[in-house]
Amino acid sequence: MINKKLRVAFSSAVRHAEPYLELLKSDERVELVGICEDAAAPEWMVRTGQEVAEKYGLSWHLSLDSLLGSEEVDLIVVCSEPTRHAQLALQVMAKGVNVLIDKPAAVTLEDAVLLESEAKKQNVVCTVVNRTHAPALRRLRSMVDAGDLGLPLHLDMEFFASGAFFSTSVEVPELVVDPRLSGGGEMMNFLGYCIDAIRYVTGLEVENIYAMSGALFSDLHSEHNVEDCAVVSIKMSYGVTSTVTVGRIPRAPGFGPTSSSLRVLGSHASAVADDDRPAALVFSKDGSVESRSFDGGAEALRAYLDHVVSVLTDGGVPEYSISDARANISVIDAAYKSVEERTPQVPL
Amino acid sequence: MLQVALVGSGGFAKEHAAALQRQEGVSIKYVVGSNRRRLQDFLSHTPGSEATTDFNDVLNDPSVEAVDICNRTAQHAPMAIAAALAGKHVHVDKPATLSVEAFDEMVAAARSTNVTLTVGQTVRFQPIIERLKSSIDGNEIGAPKLLHVSWYTGHTWPSAWRGWQMDSEQSGGHPVHNGSHIMDLATWLMGSAPVEVMTRGFNSFATEMPIPDSFSMITRFANGGLATLELSYALTRRGDSHRRIVVAGQTGTIFHDTADDTELSSQTTLPAPPSTVGALDSQLKHWIGRARGTEEPIINLHEVRASLAAVIAAQKSLVTGNPVPILENGEFS
Repeated sequence: MINKKLRVAFSSAVRHAEPYLELLKSDERVELVGICEDAAAPEWMVRTGQEVAEKYGLSWHLSLDSLLGSEEVDLIVVCSEPTRHAQLALQVMAKGVNVLIDKPAAVTLEDAVLLESEAKKQNVVCTVVNRTHAPALRRLRSMVDAGDLGLPLHLDMEFFASGAFFSTSVEVPELVVDPRLSGGGEMMNFLGYCIDAIRYVTGLEVENIYAMSGALFSDLHSEHNVEDCAVVSIKMSYGVTSTVTVGRIPRAPGFGPTSSSLRVLGSHASAVADDDRPAALVFSKDGSVESRSFDGGAEALRAYLDHVVSVLTDGGVPEYSISDARANISVIDAAYKSVEERTPQVPL
Repeated sequence: MLQVALVGSGGFAKEHAAALQRQEGVSIKYVVGSNRRRLQDFLSHTPGSEATTDFNDVLNDPSVEAVDICNRTAQHAPMAIAAALAGKHVHVDKPATLSVEAFDEMVAAARSTNVTLTVGQTVRFQPIIERLKSSIDGNEIGAPKLLHVSWYTGHTWPSAWRGWQMDSEQSGGHPVHNGSHIMDLATWLMGSAPVEVMTRGFNSFATEMPIPDSFSMITRFANGGLATLELSYALTRRGDSHRRIVVAGQTGTIFHDTADDTELSSQTTLPAPPSTVGALDSQLKHWIGRARGTEEPIINLHEVRASLAAVIAAQKSLVTGNPVPILENGEFS
């Protein structure tokens, strides 16, 4: 048990840092201490880090060494563009510091393997932002574990981000469309959530995957030659099958920036976990309708950060390990290979 | 009075008989089948009709203007072609037949005698599907580009089960036999021909069944669009159903979930969702209108051809475990 607050710092702050900071600053067990950015990073990234540090009253550093030299740190959250996630996380672990990486942990399978190996070598916590703490997903898993569905036979996962919220949910468009920053398109961005959910609910691994993808809606994605949507066919262990329908579409069929749902067909029952249901609907005099759901992506994030803080405060390790992330990234890697080679692939 | 011959004496033929008898100005003159005793039993559903095991009785009777074929799939093409060549308007249950070549012959026969050929894609006539289609055609969501259909039923296909459906040689396999519903729906809503399909199946209850009772298909369309299509009979309560449809277009999304349209909750009765009822009546009314020359086709044959090619490819994919390309020549050929 650590009898002091968990001291949390950030390495880079260009992607998702603010929503994570908002949640962490409201946690009484956490003390936010600083942000660092590589001085060699592009000027806008350095400026962003400094602005975020000032906004949250945190110390600002132009290197990890500077941050660690001036602050005692228990956990560093990596919030760079995805293509730098692995590099920055490896630097943090090399210093013997626990790390929480924004998803995806890495944009290549080779880097994911390096992360897994470094975490083991340094004996530090290396975990990744994920949605497996979504209450609906937890309930679904408990039903499967209890045998309420019999044996799971098939899973139907849908994850959509709403283009309608693009300007407010993505800090800089290139972070998700320019492969030099994003590492890929929306499969790289979101397929991992879906694979996490399927693995988490069933405890089964992906054995074979085939994906079809395209830039169906977005000129930005098309210009950068990355997909905005994909449909995915999956064979899991023991003959369980799955599909994933994923992407950024002009308007997701829900009320928030993202909408996801997972249907599980079992041998004796079926069940659904849905971000947008249950919900209370608010019908306003001005004609607008708003939903007040309680199981969406925001709650999944809040619950996961709460979990990470809890286990690190108590000296434990988060449920979601870098090995989970590595397994996840091997599936994403295979999905991209299947698109390229037009044949089903076995994740490595 | 339009004199009609009904071919088939199974469960679905009974539904057709009932629906035809609800149409104005229609009379079922013949019921055609292979089993005389079964046919005699069937006549209790069609009083005044004549039972025959010889299709030539229909073909040679000039008073019969139209033939409704809803027997086993392998018999569709030869009977439809014979009826068309005899100058009868033809309605054939889905799947139209087991090969694209046979379908082309059916179309050619109908064209040669200037009669109509209608394929029973019943789903198009469900109220909610008509609503989805009219929203798409009305440009409410822009061009449709991504479709996700999850369509689950408990626990086997209702009212139309026969053993021959297990034989892929006779039924085409499950993607052809029942997948022709969901693939036609996809083709129609997307307004484009499927060009690639990947299928995986699973057995939910009868694990030794030679064809899977459930399967999923991912599909690419000639317009670049994509679809995930799931058809399953794994729901455990007989008669239960759940269908969820998401169509994403370039300016918006249209969505329907049958979970939203429960009308009756009962321990003894499971009615079809109100979003789906009345489709067969509407379909046969349309066919009668086509036979009388008063209606433009809702079920265009080039669309049926494209979706038939797709489900045949889907069955091939199911067997091989690999994606199957469908048509190289772009839009509907």
